[in-house]
Amino acid sequence: MTVIESRSTNQLPMARSAAIAVLIVVGFFLPRLLGGTSVAYSTLTTIAIFAVMCYGVDVVLSYLGEVSLGHTLFWAVGGYTAANLSVKYGLNGWSTALATVGLCVVAAGFLGAVTLRTREFVFSLVTYAAAVVAYEIAFNWDAIGGSDGIVGISALKLPFGFATYVGGTQEELWPIAFVLLLLTLAFIARFRRSRLGTTALMVQMNPPLAASLGIDPRKVRLAVFLISAPITGLAGWLYAYQRAYVGPDMFESYFLVMMLTAVVLIGRRVLVGPLIGTAILIAQQNLLSLGGDWNKIILGSVLALVLIFWPTGLVGFFRRFGKTRA
Amino acid sequence: MNVAQQIINGLVLGSGYACIALGWTILLGVARLVNFAHGQLYMLGAFVTWYAMTRLGMPYPLAILAAIVALAILGALMQSAMMGLVMTQNLTSLMIVTLGLGYVLQGGSALIFGGNPQTIPGTLARAKVDLGSLWFTWQDVLVLAATLALYGAVWLFTQKTRFGSVIRAVAEDPKLAELFGINAKVVYLLVFVFECSAVALGAALVAPRSPILTSMGFNEVIMTFVVVVLGGIGSIGGALAAGLGLGLFIAFFGAFVAHAYTTAAAFAVLLALLVIRPAGLATK
Repeated sequence: MTVIESRSTNQLPMARSAAIAVLIVVGFFLPRLLGGTSVAYSTLTTIAIFAVMCYGVDVVLSYLGEVSLGHTLFWAVGGYTAANLSVKYGLNGWSTALATVGLCVVAAGFLGAVTLRTREFVFSLVTYAAAVVAYEIAFNWDAIGGSDGIVGISALKLPFGFATYVGGTQEELWPIAFVLLLLTLAFIARFRRSRLGTTALMVQMNPPLAASLGIDPRKVRLAVFLISAPITGLAGWLYAYQRAYVGPDMFESYFLVMMLTAVVLIGRRVLVGPLIGTAILIAQQNLLSLGGDWNKIILGSVLALVLIFWPTGLVGFFRRFGKTRA
Repeated sequence: MNVAQQIINGLVLGSGYACIALGWTILLGVARLVNFAHGQLYMLGAFVTWYAMTRLGMPYPLAILAAIVALAILGALMQSAMMGLVMTQNLTSLMIVTLGLGYVLQGGSALIFGGNPQTIPGTLARAKVDLGSLWFTWQDVLVLAATLALYGAVWLFTQKTRFGSVIRAVAEDPKLAELFGINAKVVYLLVFVFECSAVALGAALVAPRSPILTSMGFNEVIMTFVVVVLGGIGSIGGALAAGLGLGLFIAFFGAFVAHAYTTAAAFAVLLALLVIRPAGLATK
């Protein structure tokens, strides 16, 4: 069983902070270190966006132990909100991001409340069905794009009062994606130590203990689901600006399988796990692609095989390997 | 008589839903397992039927048999791979694994069968029966008759035979059942193989009505969810009633409200019932 690393924060706090700072700086200049080409920038921006997308599912899957199959819905809510508000009303990035968070919380609250009193797998069924239904609505409702989607989303504008940051090219979008990823990581790290995070873990690992402490697992599930939705939603928000297009393809099962695979590949309950998982998977798809259908087979197989043979992910695999060697 | 025609359409649609949902009902109700590859298995059953008829020149009944055998073998392979998770009742991982395998099936089918929409040839689906202003096809009659016969047979089998009670014993407590000399692994394997064969049969019967695509699995599976949950999870009679009821609802909704939003309407019904009777629907 993988447990949360209980590294003491008092131990060499300076060294730890310095190491994190170095990692952040290196991370920021990574596209330049990789040659500074537009391919490097777009691949790394995509990795950052997809990693944030996966962290939404990670919160639910790793800490709550439930399977949400509806996070493509929040991903699409982010994309459609950014596209509609910026193209039709000319709103800037802050407003569209705020609207994304609001709409995701409403959608998650609705789904979570409806499934509140049902058995666990009904939660998965209903979230899956919700994504299919949302796809149908997005496909047929011409006012929000219809089957053609929305093209020509203008560059992301983030006014800071005195100046406005414009993310037009992949190179200009990278800092935004990087900051969004850092904020997400900081949020997840904080969540792991929060009351809600530890309670969720207790509900998953030791339900009788949670019950004896008077914890209602349904409320914990609802709360965790609520905070997970805007994370994936904000990734979809940035994805809309990166592609300058949104359409019903944001509901494709590819994104769902991608989110789950990125989380389980490295191992659940590992802070940087989804990020590394996303990086490996996107690198395979962008740089070592074997064609769309083969990529589907690879992605699906990785997901199934990891869970069948190494349920604790690559981390658990290496840990066991290390133990037998030692 | 538009209403009478919609009732016929509803029965036609509903028997299709019930037919496709039969395997899932058994899997969930009797073995307490969830299979998110169900939609892709339906797609594969339809494509094997299509391939057997158009490329191998088999007649329709033989093609149905080919689809059933092909998916039964696939089901046995899938279940063997997942056996460890099944025996430890790791439902969370099982849901994700079946989803991943479904994605593999989708990619593999696109490689083998191509990305174009296809139609299963057949004379039954084109043979119209006209009763004055009402009409349906012989394929519809076949689906309805086969669905009723299948549900009857399965109900008799699970309730009245010794093997039916063995399956229920395993679902209740696999470890305890093994103490009584029941091989739980074999039971799980057979139930899963049955699910795959049943969905192959359902696909071979239902799919000739409309064009088939290798990417259709994701959307096809939602009606199965609605039927199974509405019917009271695992209840065989409930699934049949829910399937037919849902078919009637969809037919009327599609005819009188909006054809494009029928799936959304079915989902709304599901949500409403989950709120009104969560316990009654989630348990038998």
